[in-house]
Amino acid sequence: MTTINFDSELRRAGAHSTRGWRRLTFLAQRYLLGTVGLVIMVLFVWMAISADLIARYDPLSVDSAQRLAAPSAAHWMGTDSFGRDVWSRIVHGARISLAVGIGATALGSTLGVIVGLVSGYLSGWVDLLFQRITDILQALPLLVLALVMTAALGPSLPNVIIAIAIPLIPTVARVIRANTLALRELPFVEAAKSIGMSETRIALRHVLPNTLAPLIVLATAQLGSTILTEASLSFLGLGIPEPYPSWGRMLSESAAEYVRTAPWLVIFPGVAISLAVFGTNLFGDALRDILDPRQRG
Amino acid sequence: MFAYIVRRLALMLVTLFGISVIIFVLLRVVPGNIVDILFDAAGFVDPTDKANLEKELGLNLPIYQQYLNWIGGLLHGDLGYSYVSEKPALQEILPRIPITARLAALALLFSASIGIPLGVLSAVHQGSRLDYTLRVVSLSGLSLPSFWLGLLILMASVSMFGSMPIYNPNPKTWTEAFAIYAVPAMAVGFRSAALTMRITRSSMLEILRQDYIRTARAKGASEASVNYRHALKNAILPVITVIGIEAAFLIGGLIVTETVFNIPGVARFLVEALRWRDYPIVQNLVMLIAVVVVVANFTVDMLYAAIDPRIRYGD
Amino acid sequence: MRSVHALAAAALLLLPAYDLASAGEPKQGGILRVYHRDSPGSASIHEGATYSINIPFMPVFNNLVIFDQHIAQNSQDTIRPELAESWAWSSDNKKLTFKLRQGVKWHDGKPFTSADVKCTFDMLMGKSQQKFRQNPRKSWYDQVSDVTVNGDYEASFELKRPQPALISLLASGYTPVYPCHVSPAEMRTKPIGTGPFKFVEFKANESIKLTKNPDYFKKGLPHLDGIEFTIIPNRSTAILGFVSGKFDMTFPTEVSIPLLKEVKSQAPNAVCVVEPINVSTNIIVNSSSPPFDNIDIRRALALALDRKAFVQILFEGQADIGGTMLPAPGGLWAMPKEMLESIPGYGPDINANREEARKLMQKAGYGPDKRLAVKVSTRNIPVYRDPAVILIDQIKSIYIDAELDVVDTAQWFPKVARKDYTLGLNLTGNAVDDPDQSFYENYSCGSERNYTNYCNKEIEKLFDQQSAETDVAKRKKLVWEIDKKLQEDVARPIIFHARQGSCWQPYVKGITIMVNSSYNGYRYEDVWMDK
Repeated sequence: MTTINFDSELRRAGAHSTRGWRRLTFLAQRYLLGTVGLVIMVLFVWMAISADLIARYDPLSVDSAQRLAAPSAAHWMGTDSFGRDVWSRIVHGARISLAVGIGATALGSTLGVIVGLVSGYLSGWVDLLFQRITDILQALPLLVLALVMTAALGPSLPNVIIAIAIPLIPTVARVIRANTLALRELPFVEAAKSIGMSETRIALRHVLPNTLAPLIVLATAQLGSTILTEASLSFLGLGIPEPYPSWGRMLSESAAEYVRTAPWLVIFPGVAISLAVFGTNLFGDALRDILDPRQRG
Repeated sequence: MFAYIVRRLALMLVTLFGISVIIFVLLRVVPGNIVDILFDAAGFVDPTDKANLEKELGLNLPIYQQYLNWIGGLLHGDLGYSYVSEKPALQEILPRIPITARLAALALLFSASIGIPLGVLSAVHQGSRLDYTLRVVSLSGLSLPSFWLGLLILMASVSMFGSMPIYNPNPKTWTEAFAIYAVPAMAVGFRSAALTMRITRSSMLEILRQDYIRTARAKGASEASVNYRHALKNAILPVITVIGIEAAFLIGGLIVTETVFNIPGVARFLVEALRWRDYPIVQNLVMLIAVVVVVANFTVDMLYAAIDPRIRYGD
Repeated sequence: MRSVHALAAAALLLLPAYDLASAGEPKQGGILRVYHRDSPGSASIHEGATYSINIPFMPVFNNLVIFDQHIAQNSQDTIRPELAESWAWSSDNKKLTFKLRQGVKWHDGKPFTSADVKCTFDMLMGKSQQKFRQNPRKSWYDQVSDVTVNGDYEASFELKRPQPALISLLASGYTPVYPCHVSPAEMRTKPIGTGPFKFVEFKANESIKLTKNPDYFKKGLPHLDGIEFTIIPNRSTAILGFVSGKFDMTFPTEVSIPLLKEVKSQAPNAVCVVEPINVSTNIIVNSSSPPFDNIDIRRALALALDRKAFVQILFEGQADIGGTMLPAPGGLWAMPKEMLESIPGYGPDINANREEARKLMQKAGYGPDKRLAVKVSTRNIPVYRDPAVILIDQIKSIYIDAELDVVDTAQWFPKVARKDYTLGLNLTGNAVDDPDQSFYENYSCGSERNYTNYCNKEIEKLFDQQSAETDVAKRKKLVWEIDKKLQEDVARPIIFHARQGSCWQPYVKGITIMVNSSYNGYRYEDVWMDK
């Protein structure tokens, strides 16, 4: 059973007190990498939320006098071919990346949970049908399916979120289904049934909360890959359209023209993508260690 | 075993059928079709010409009819004609497959030869500083977008050699061939090397914890013998199967890398064909990718089933 | 005749291109390696409207007549015979007769005759059984009532009214003669011509290969053994390939100004020129629905444009500002500078212009507290998107908050045709520097390419008047008046006329980049390599 129990976890790891600040610092030490990941993630979220305050210029404002300026005190990361400030665009780009990352992961997970719960709980032909659908979705690589879907839906923020969310469904659905199947056999569910609880209620009140831990682990792991997929889509010209400063598209434009003459246009957006994904990966790894001790290495 | 294989094969067909329907419908949801694109260059769309062309390409037929025509042809090995080049789709797709296959094979080779040794090293020295460093490195490998890595390689190559690899179907020298295939393969393989390393590490660890390893240790086998003779031998199977599955999923990395390095393989062809709304090409390419993935999965399952009979009773 | 704005350095670099005489006897042989910017949709020039098709396939064909391939400024004076040996207008200027060359063979060995000329133009006029999939330049022949033949070696164009510009249209790279005996479908995949080079293969997204036509009717030509185009959409990669010597020539008129600097620093010996391509970047305004049905708001828009800033950002100053017709010195029909600057929005004082624009906006009910929200639609291609970004930034100054609406290629023309846009950013290419081509196509009532549905019967009369005018000086005056009126009506505000660079290695000889068209100069029969 995978329930969240920090206290026992902490004691096992040798902590003397499980309260307050000490508990936090202990956790931070025990999961140093995860903490670093969390800090990176928090920084990016903070960047996205307060983009208007952090950005030093309007990310869309064109300045003909400041074209392709190298990084300087005025423009920390230089400017692009329109004279737009790269730092400001990266800061605002965090919004796009996070919107897609969180939006697609949340949508994909929600749909995956529904499919998984229904499939695992109802079994029978519904299960069979859902299973085949997940098979189908799983037979295509994430980027291929997302490419075809964005081409079909057209390039816009909501469409990109949908296109990336759909391919996430099968993994989530599989895990939830397996968990549900296992849970269904457990005594407390049997007990709930015997006292006349409705199936839906059992599913929502008892089964769902108990599958939360693996779900969180999975969602964090997927957050990174959704950010990467958005970047790839935009790089290929099928993602978020102008004027939104998407990191992937910033790269695709500079890659076409400025690999040599303005390397900062290639370096900084790439660093932003890598760092954001690295943060979520570090955090996701630590989270898996904590929530899913069986997997611990 | 036989019944299991038959069941799996049947499921495979169902999956492929489902994909064919989904792709077909998705492509026809797209606003604007090939006719609009072909007419784009002209600067306007003449309604009569458009209707004529739609008729010529069979786009005026009901959707189910178009679908049946496609599948019917597919079963006879007829993939239809590319809308853009007006050549048989097969003739367009086939010559591009070896290019991508070569890249994928090199990328897998690269990822296995880096990922497996490092994974073993990491597991054997679990908890050490080395393990820690390797884990961070592998995580960062998973975080680098492969197109960015490709761009960085190009930038480096330009500043060091003043030139960069440009695809040439008939490389004249070994170094040219190396630059054309191996460099992009590394850009793709880096990510999967990181993945392979993580999987090797965890499956190594699992096995090191098992009874027979303890027994071997208790019997006084040397540390090296335990690690490399007993454990690695058993840990390698899951790793190889994972590499098998990875082969299919390399496609994502190949799409962007072929774009960055301007390599005319199937992966980039998919993006180009999507842009042109060249349905016959897109449909068949997606089916090709699906077949590769499904067959890879099937092979892996069969391998597992052959080794561990319990699998057959699960799903 | 050359562009005087070009840098002195560039002018120096130009010299070798004209240095044909001193370069000595042309050497034979060699394959010219060129990169291509994208994969053209087909190989059929008549069915395309982009120089992505002209450049690789013009060497396969011949025209009746062609602009001199070594005089940079196309005009009626530079038209040379090709498949026609000579031509003559009838006394009423309503019949143009060509005497055709004898003994010319198609690449498949069949003889070329007047029937091929008739077939080609009947098909272009939509009169034949066989049809093109698409026929973008049908309107060029609106004044042609019939093409007749007299024996195997004479063909005549009968006109409804005099149209002196017809001969220019026939001299464009867009107007090759096709063989009767080859279907349009085959022409799209395996074109057969009479030209200096034969088609070998076209692999989409990969390469286009041409080989020498040993039976070419011009003895001793071509010099090259063949031409190979490698398709590389990424400009940075392509330029690096050129710089490192993998290509003998860049794709003509495709090197942007920033990349040109890179070429100069990396390959100082390369010969580079920057020339106008006769493609104008303009704004299409939907004047059939609010808010731009209000002429005040349209005028305000025209006044808000800082054209110099566009040119500065996108071309580092190297592009031209003018009306519909290509500006001088490249263009033949540009109005004088004083006349241009008298048009609202073209005056040098941007701040004063914008002040006036804001007054017009206030008159229409907008102001700092009540801003106008619109969308600027354009295609998802950098040459469209980039100026749109600047436009949006500029019109902020007149209380307009615009959002970029990026439209997929497949949906662009249908959307524009539906009038489903407010402001659009558009590119208009002119294959021939002649008012007939530009005015009728873009501004006449009911023309397919008249996206804004601008329709002014009085101006239409002037179109016909200038078209039939045989006195060039008189025609010019008329053209200037029309162009000025079109700008004042804010029919389709012209932002700038782009220039692009072309580079080749110093050993490549005999290439001339045209200064008033990027569609006509690629026969390449006498190009050779000194190595």
